[in-house]
Amino acid sequence: MSDLDRAIEQLRACRLIPESQVRELCYKARELLIEEGNVVSVDAPVTICGDIHGQFHDLMELFRVGGDVPDTNYLFMGDFVDRGFYSLESFLLLLCLKVRYPDRITLIRGNHESRQITTVYGFYDECIRKYGSANVWRYCCEVFDYLALGAIVLGASSELEPSSNTALSSMPIDDSELETEVLNSRGEVTMSTYRARQRSSSDASTDSRNISPPRDISAAPGQAAAPSRSGAPGTGASGDGNGSAATSRTGAVLCVHGGLSPLIDSVDKIRLIDRKQEVPHEGAMCDLLWSDPDEIEGWGLSPRGAGFLFGGDIVKQFNHLNGLSLVARAHQLVMEGYKEMFDGGIVTVWSAPNYCYRCGNVAAILELGEDASGGGTVARSNGEYGRSNGIVTDNRVVSPGRRYRVFEAAAQDTRGMPAKKPVADYFLHLRLGVDFEN
Amino acid sequence: MALEVQPPDGRKRVKVYELKDNDWFDRGTGFCTGQILGEEPRIFVESEDLPNRVLLETRITKDDGYQKQQETLIVWTEQNGTDMALSFQEAEGCAVIWDFVNAVQQHLLSLTSADDALSDDLDSYQSIVLPAAELGNLPEIEQIVRAASMTQGGRDALSKYIIRDEYIAKLVPLVEMAEDLEGLIDLHRLCNIMKSLILLNDNTIIETVVADHVILGVVGALEYDPEFPTHKANHRQYLADKSRYKEVVPIKDPIIRRKIRSTWRLQYLKDVVLARILDDPTFSVLNSLIFFNQMEIVNHIQANGPFLRDLFHVFDPRNPDQRRKDDAVQFLHQCAGIAKNLQAPSRAQLFANFISHGLFAVIAFAVKHLNPAMRTTGIDILVILLDHDPVMMRGYMLKAVNEKKTPLTDTLIDLLHVETDLGVKNQLADAIKVLLDPQIPMQDPLGRAGPDYFKVRTNNLLSDAFVQQHFDESSKRLFQPLKQLANRTALNDLTFQEVTLYSHLVDILTFFVRQHLFRTRNSIQSESLAPRVAQLLRVPQKHLKLVALKFFRTLISLQDTFYQALMTHNNTFELILDIVYETMPRDNLLNSACLELFEFIRRENIKPFILHVVEKYREKLENIIYVDTFQSLILRYDQMQGYGAEADATLFSQDDSNAPRRIPLSGQRWQGAREMDPAEEDYFNTSDDEDEIKWTQDRVATTAEPSSESAPAVVKPLVDYPDDDDEDIMDTKPEGAEQQPAASPTEASTEVPASPPTQNPPERLAEKRRREEEDDDELSKLTAGPKRRSSTSGNSGAFIMNRKKSQSAGSLAENNASPGVLNRVTSAAPKRIAINIGSTAKPSISETDTTRTEVTSESYEKENRDDSKGNEGG
Repeated sequence: MSDLDRAIEQLRACRLIPESQVRELCYKARELLIEEGNVVSVDAPVTICGDIHGQFHDLMELFRVGGDVPDTNYLFMGDFVDRGFYSLESFLLLLCLKVRYPDRITLIRGNHESRQITTVYGFYDECIRKYGSANVWRYCCEVFDYLALGAIVLGASSELEPSSNTALSSMPIDDSELETEVLNSRGEVTMSTYRARQRSSSDASTDSRNISPPRDISAAPGQAAAPSRSGAPGTGASGDGNGSAATSRTGAVLCVHGGLSPLIDSVDKIRLIDRKQEVPHEGAMCDLLWSDPDEIEGWGLSPRGAGFLFGGDIVKQFNHLNGLSLVARAHQLVMEGYKEMFDGGIVTVWSAPNYCYRCGNVAAILELGEDASGGGTVARSNGEYGRSNGIVTDNRVVSPGRRYRVFEAAAQDTRGMPAKKPVADYFLHLRLGVDFEN
Repeated sequence: MALEVQPPDGRKRVKVYELKDNDWFDRGTGFCTGQILGEEPRIFVESEDLPNRVLLETRITKDDGYQKQQETLIVWTEQNGTDMALSFQEAEGCAVIWDFVNAVQQHLLSLTSADDALSDDLDSYQSIVLPAAELGNLPEIEQIVRAASMTQGGRDALSKYIIRDEYIAKLVPLVEMAEDLEGLIDLHRLCNIMKSLILLNDNTIIETVVADHVILGVVGALEYDPEFPTHKANHRQYLADKSRYKEVVPIKDPIIRRKIRSTWRLQYLKDVVLARILDDPTFSVLNSLIFFNQMEIVNHIQANGPFLRDLFHVFDPRNPDQRRKDDAVQFLHQCAGIAKNLQAPSRAQLFANFISHGLFAVIAFAVKHLNPAMRTTGIDILVILLDHDPVMMRGYMLKAVNEKKTPLTDTLIDLLHVETDLGVKNQLADAIKVLLDPQIPMQDPLGRAGPDYFKVRTNNLLSDAFVQQHFDESSKRLFQPLKQLANRTALNDLTFQEVTLYSHLVDILTFFVRQHLFRTRNSIQSESLAPRVAQLLRVPQKHLKLVALKFFRTLISLQDTFYQALMTHNNTFELILDIVYETMPRDNLLNSACLELFEFIRRENIKPFILHVVEKYREKLENIIYVDTFQSLILRYDQMQGYGAEADATLFSQDDSNAPRRIPLSGQRWQGAREMDPAEEDYFNTSDDEDEIKWTQDRVATTAEPSSESAPAVVKPLVDYPDDDDEDIMDTKPEGAEQQPAASPTEASTEVPASPPTQNPPERLAEKRRREEEDDDELSKLTAGPKRRSSTSGNSGAFIMNRKKSQSAGSLAENNASPGVLNRVTSAAPKRIAINIGSTAKPSISETDTTRTEVTSESYEKENRDDSKGNEGG
């Protein structure tokens, strides 16, 4: 068993590794991350996760629900630290897994992976508390500077393999394919949506998307997800005409922590950023980590004071120009764990259940399947400029099949009471003489 | 039962409102008086129009929940349940009546506590009595406590009862009883009761809870959290464990000893026992209690001469007790850590006292310690001092130089060169950065107003030449290892330690250049450091390459002829292009960093570089086709040579309409006294179009710095650290709309209300400002920290630059002492672009009042246009 495997074991048990090992780990991670582009290419199948925020036990629950590394291919969209009481354990475990299985796990940067934010929201204090000095915090922050800013998922299948464990009776309708599926943490399907098969010739036919999770997931029959056959009558024929060319063109999925930026009109612009720096307070890099989608038109001011709000038109246009079918992002608490907006053009994935140990939300992860048909996705050779000048010859991009696994906070008796570690020593080195003198 | 309260004079103009069907019904306008009629205190309002009509007559009782809202409103509920409000014309009138009401209520209260049980009939409505503290009564107690916690009135009444009856002390014995009986349900109940009582958020109750005779019982109950039925915490064991106590020098004052104990317990409560359940108000109550205790403790220590003498005497070389010295260092470290949270004057006083007793010797002792942890501690103390007042620290250091003593910097530099612990090395580099930075403004008038403030300042105002000389000498010493690189031919065999050292040195050098380019010129020139850094572009270690690259990127962004010459006289660009060649078309960090550098030159249209690069390396550039940056550099070059002047004209035609104003923002400019050297004048004169010059300069002035690495921080000032009550790390507000569990997040309508279309920027700015006031969002919090946590990444400079900025802006100097003002002004102003992308995909730029916005959106549009041009061409 290598040192690294031992470290992983130890961290899985929520026990910290010595400072010297953290330093080693961070250096190894740095060597690895420096080779990654600002936008990492990831092949489906992949499981996309949102904010973790130091909720170590819930991260373990996430791995239980989503499958363990390296069996499952993971993509974490940042915000590993702050707020929860186990930022160190969570981040170091993810980093260990990254170093151990570099191709099976991708980490991108969130707005909390920043020196300034972590000094305010808990990670800095946690490092001081648990290691007695800021050294580990410094090492981690150094790693933050190297984290990629986004990822692009290629080769995702447009159709989901139906889960065997279907609790619903709603059968797929002929001539339709399973587009989205929502599963609870026991693996039972609570909701699914279908779309017309091979009718991608008309944009309207995919507008059945934008599924919204029902308030109560357990009581969610297929109703909320009325299967759509909205393809205009008569388009079927013409659709068949294009059939084979258009059917399996599943667009790529862009994953970023926050959202879009007015300074970034193509994915390739992202590569022109020198990312090795503290997250700036404005500019493209800042926006990618801070922006939020909103029901507005165009761009708006963000109430967060950094990044922007952007509307459906922006998303639609960006996706169109870049041959994307979906933007996956995190950054905002959603009570149901995930939320699709703008006709399924963007989804928020949130993976910290009962956020801050009090918000009462559930969490979700998003699974994208591999396109087994080999029909090919929209080619995105990361490296040839000019291809994404906005002209994707056939822009009928189909969104990938999406499987959401929803889970709740880790069962309470499988873990200790979450608490911060008390101050390393105590506050003044004084002998109190007779303690508790009356 | 005589009332000794004086009714207020005069009549206050007021509107009377009554709540009817959830609407405030206006009962009329009149004049309000407070009167005492036959022992009965009343509020009267007589109608303005009909002087004899009484709009309101109400008796003040001690339990009516009167509330003052804003400056001019008093709100309460009548005995019959009607909600009433008085809206005063003048805040002053409101205050007078409010004082009267308060005085009456307090008086009535004092009467009741005198003849307690007698006057119950009237008060039972609001007062609360708990059954005797017995195990059998726990269900009932829990129920009453829970019910009472629901309403403000209930909470007040319950708090009063708990305090008056010393109820907590009565509950404490039940914990052990229940434990003896193994009554888990009772223990859970006790835990719930205890939690509720603490969350009543009453100062007195919380102080009671940590008292010696109660604390163990309280945390004992809290060990049995019903939410974790299979767990039991071990708070009592932790709190009772005496082995961890060390006492370097005994503190004798019993009050201070008690404060120390209760502070420690409060922290334990805050961080461990209650960490999960604390709500914001209780969190801030705990914090402020801790804060005030700490202030008293620190004040006691620093005023306690004999104590300090004993403490520092521990470090006497003749003292053989090594352990005790280590403990004393730890003690001082903790004191300094506490002092960080105190207000500037107390902190200044404490540090001044420590320093006069020999703190520097202690730091010197610690940083040379064999144990890396002790070295870390020692430097930590130093960093705290530097954070507190870098000017003072530099003053001490220069004084030492002046007196021909070895200055602290020399010690630190020598240590940096040999230090093997990477954490310590890191901190050393940071400390050196700050200590050697000679340009922290000396005129700093406010803020750290310690008693020795002016004395230290004036004593240390040494001549500028002296400062420069010291800086040069220290730099020479510091960068010696870098200079010696000249003798190395191969760079493939660098050791790990060497790599680390070089990356720190280049990082410091980059910081110096950015912070004060003039002072740094000397040493860069005389030590010929730039070619050495260029050497590092060829090392195999990619992160070191990156650090070197960052150095040159910084030089480029300075737009200074001296540094431009450095870049163009050496083959620096060739080396950078080599990296591009090595990495392309792979998409990795190093490659992106290079692209960004050339992209910057292109975007900012920095002519000397465009000329140099294209002239010397045209062929190399032509071969890089996987991005269009290099092609457009060549295009720019050709345009400059006169070819394709037409294209040039269209490219900039838009600028006339936008008429950018010139804002002297860029770092080197406002530091004043900068004469334009001939070369630079040439540079500007060679431009063929006046508008273009203006445009270029403007771009330089407004965007050059912001778009460079540390940029955004520069724009925003450092502001007051949030008060304790803002400091809640669990605060759920910052993420604003996203986490209000009550709202239904599935509905788009519950999100931040869709703002009016962006064509209305002034309104939007106003809205932004308002929002900032309402909920401090994450960013305003993050800009708020005066705790400088610098790092190796080269961004640490930003904080200091901030500080400079805000001072030069002529505002309040010390940011600790300028709450919010700077923040509000600057952060609201230069912020946001409002762009609407219509169906034509053409951004329409809305008029805004800030140049930055114009420039940014302009460049945005320009980029777009470049693209479209490219499309047409291809």
